[in-house]
Amino acid sequence: MLKLENLEISFATNRGSLHAVKGVTLDIAAGESIGIVGESGSGKTVLSRASMGLLAPTATRTGTVTFDGKEISSLSRDEVRETWGTGMAMIFQDPMTALNPVRRVGSQIMEGLTVRLGMSKADARKRAIELLGRVRIPDPEQALKKFPGQLSGGMRQRVMIAIALACNPKLLFADEPTTALDVTVQAQILQLLSELRKELNMSMVLVTHDLGVVAGHTDKIAVMYAGEVVEYATTKDLFARMRMPYTEALMKSIPRLSTPSGSRLPVIEGRLPDPTKPEPGCLFASRCPYAQEKCRTQHPDLTTDSDGHQYRCFFPLGAAQ
Amino acid sequence: MTTTFDGNTAHLRPADQTLLQIKDLVVEFDLGGGRVVKAVSNVSLDLVEGETLSIVGESGCGKSTLGKAILQLPAPTSGSIVFQGTDITKLSKKDLRNVRPAMQMIFQDPVSSLDPRFPVSRAVEEPLKIWNRGNEIERSAKVDELLNSVGLDPALVRDRRPYEFSGGQCQRISIARALALEPKLLICDEPVSALDVSVQAQILNLLQDMKEAYGLTLIFISHDLSVVKAVSTRIMVMYLGKICEIATPDELYSRPLHHYTSALVGSVPVPDPERKVSATLLEGEPPSPLDPPSGCRFRTRCPAATELCATEEPMLRLAADGHYVACHHPRA
Amino acid sequence: MDSVKKSWVFRITIAWFALIVFFAIFGPWLPLPKWDQVFDDALSVTPFKQGHLLGTDSNGYDIFSGIIYGARISLFISFTAVFVGGTIGSAIGITAAYVRGKFDYVVSTLFNVVLSIPNLVLSLALIAVLATNVDPNVPTSTGRRIMVLVISLTIVIIPILGRIARAATLSWSNREFVLAARSMGSKDRNIIWRHIVPNVLPAIFAVAFLAIGVVIVAEASLSLLGAGVPDGTSWGSMVARGRNDIEFAPHIIIIPLMCIAFTVIACNYIGDVIRKQLDQRQAKL
Repeated sequence: MLKLENLEISFATNRGSLHAVKGVTLDIAAGESIGIVGESGSGKTVLSRASMGLLAPTATRTGTVTFDGKEISSLSRDEVRETWGTGMAMIFQDPMTALNPVRRVGSQIMEGLTVRLGMSKADARKRAIELLGRVRIPDPEQALKKFPGQLSGGMRQRVMIAIALACNPKLLFADEPTTALDVTVQAQILQLLSELRKELNMSMVLVTHDLGVVAGHTDKIAVMYAGEVVEYATTKDLFARMRMPYTEALMKSIPRLSTPSGSRLPVIEGRLPDPTKPEPGCLFASRCPYAQEKCRTQHPDLTTDSDGHQYRCFFPLGAAQ
Repeated sequence: MTTTFDGNTAHLRPADQTLLQIKDLVVEFDLGGGRVVKAVSNVSLDLVEGETLSIVGESGCGKSTLGKAILQLPAPTSGSIVFQGTDITKLSKKDLRNVRPAMQMIFQDPVSSLDPRFPVSRAVEEPLKIWNRGNEIERSAKVDELLNSVGLDPALVRDRRPYEFSGGQCQRISIARALALEPKLLICDEPVSALDVSVQAQILNLLQDMKEAYGLTLIFISHDLSVVKAVSTRIMVMYLGKICEIATPDELYSRPLHHYTSALVGSVPVPDPERKVSATLLEGEPPSPLDPPSGCRFRTRCPAATELCATEEPMLRLAADGHYVACHHPRA
Repeated sequence: MDSVKKSWVFRITIAWFALIVFFAIFGPWLPLPKWDQVFDDALSVTPFKQGHLLGTDSNGYDIFSGIIYGARISLFISFTAVFVGGTIGSAIGITAAYVRGKFDYVVSTLFNVVLSIPNLVLSLALIAVLATNVDPNVPTSTGRRIMVLVISLTIVIIPILGRIARAATLSWSNREFVLAARSMGSKDRNIIWRHIVPNVLPAIFAVAFLAIGVVIVAEASLSLLGAGVPDGTSWGSMVARGRNDIEFAPHIIIIPLMCIAFTVIACNYIGDVIRKQLDQRQAKL
């Protein structure tokens, strides 16, 4: 469905070239759900924008992005636009800014239907009601007439999902879809996305900073750090046996209900490396509790285990020393 | 199980032991056209010095409004807030101003918490300037000390502006600013919700350290039970402006008595793909606070709701040692 | 900002502004014919002829001198109206948005009422009230007419900039750093001066430049309607006086019109540059 090969993206900034995505190779099969996990600045958002052909003009890109057998960069602007909605669709972190505050929910959903699919107004309305029902909005007919400001955050995110689904996309990008929401609503939205994906047989890319969010809702997970994919495995495999010290550290830092009260939470010390100043060794070496001399001087390649689990580490966790 | 009925103040401790005691606090907002929202309705709570009370609930439950009302931002509609023995709701503007340094707040949005035009040193110095503390040299030394204590290198950050920092760093700057006046009480309104998971833990630890170093009493407001678990000594769960349950964290998580608390516990994402989706996942969203349900406010979403819940409002009552719940049919 | 500074449009705009401001200030001391001096031997002379740089009009007034003197009046009227109106409007708007409540309600209603009246109708009405003498046979003096014009245009400007100030203040005073300042015990006056005004000012400036353009046009329109300053003393009144000569001596009307157009475009452009800077700054936040 979507294939990224050796994708490199850099931005020209006034402090020099910023290498945001470094040599990322990923592929997403039809109906598959993949989680891209990383901190702010890990390149996860740039990666998903690039996959949709939504990069800023200041960005330079090498490598290929193939969607449905077509290379995105070889397409004209119109052709790229053609794939949005019907091929790929996206939902964003903040449903308030992603929706137009002065237009009714109904007209925003129907826009894609009438413009892209050439539906008549009446058909589009029918479909909009059906879509709102599909994203489990109570009383869809009433909801059509509301303005985004009259809805709660969770309802707005549901509307965003309805808009994204309007033209039956084959692939849905969800960029931090629940970060701005309450935990209770987050659970509902994630549940909804999972159900819709199965119902509509869509592929989904779930971009998040929270390993807890992707755990129950993805087939595969790619962990990104400083622009690189540092671990890539099936969700089951990843949680069962992490190879990359960074993934382990990220996992440990999640606040949990099981944390004893009054205890200190484990943290990842240090900071992300400066993306404008490339370092020779492993990018995580300066923060890694297991780092050895080799890690500081040589850059580890992505290694693939016999079970297909990929990682970028000389001394993977759980390996015999 | 012992049960005592004592209005909605059963959970309060003797006033002379507390740093802060709030009784019957009501915050209403006039939306115009005769519509009044009761964001906080008759909430009572207290804090013993050195304690961390967490207030947990969904957006719109009134937790942030409650936190701000304690600081009189804006002043509550009715009720009393006794801080260090004085009811601050009855103070004149001038006297209230004199109490302010002892109560500080940290906000959710780390970037909007800082004036974009001010370099870090000026932001942290501002409270000292407002109160004419020390001379310029002393203030500058104090700013450096504060920045150091929140884990920022003064030499590197002093002259930079907020937009040059990450959210986590901005939150550190806000903490430094809030501590400048050496407050007794620090109210943290969702201080980590806007941050990456990996940074959340750092800020939570920092707040713990600061609490010890500066002898703070904390109110910690959050929508996420997992975030407050490690830091709190007591947790209060709110729903639509009312208290549902109060308990120590370990008690609350191991034995949530209110159905709403149990749903909140069930919503926390767990990094384990094998875990089954919780059966207690809440349906729908809270009803409008403009027109709250009669009786128990949670009854419209509650799996155990009965006739009684619609007619009679449940009062907070003691269910176990230090564990209070407002529910007619608490979970076993 | 640097890329904007380098663009030739920006340079031309600044140069034009500098030029008219220079003329407006130093015009009277320049070695030129007086603006009200009549050249009986040179009526409707086209530009660059008979020693008149921009020609003369049908009464024999030197157009170049007229433009320079007119710049003084036109710029005085528009800058004063925008400065005074902007200051009053901002003060009201910022205060209203900061204190909210009834005062805010009254202020925003008043603003909306005034804004709902078309600029020209409002200023015409004000002029009619303010400039009419008790004895209709005594003509109003030029100084008084200018004052009246400034006052009426100031009143037009107050709600335009006041509303911008109010909106900007609303968005800034909801920021948490303002709450933080209040919780620290900062006095309201200090919060407004230290946190609100500096952040709101760029937005007001951006619109103020647009408003200068609006006022210049309004002044010219009033002149055409005969309600402006006396003939020939501002760009607008030069247009008014030359309107009958448009067929045989179009330069009489085209030259002041071009001055008006250039200045309005320059104002809009500068307003735009400020607004873009503002957007970029906000994008960083």
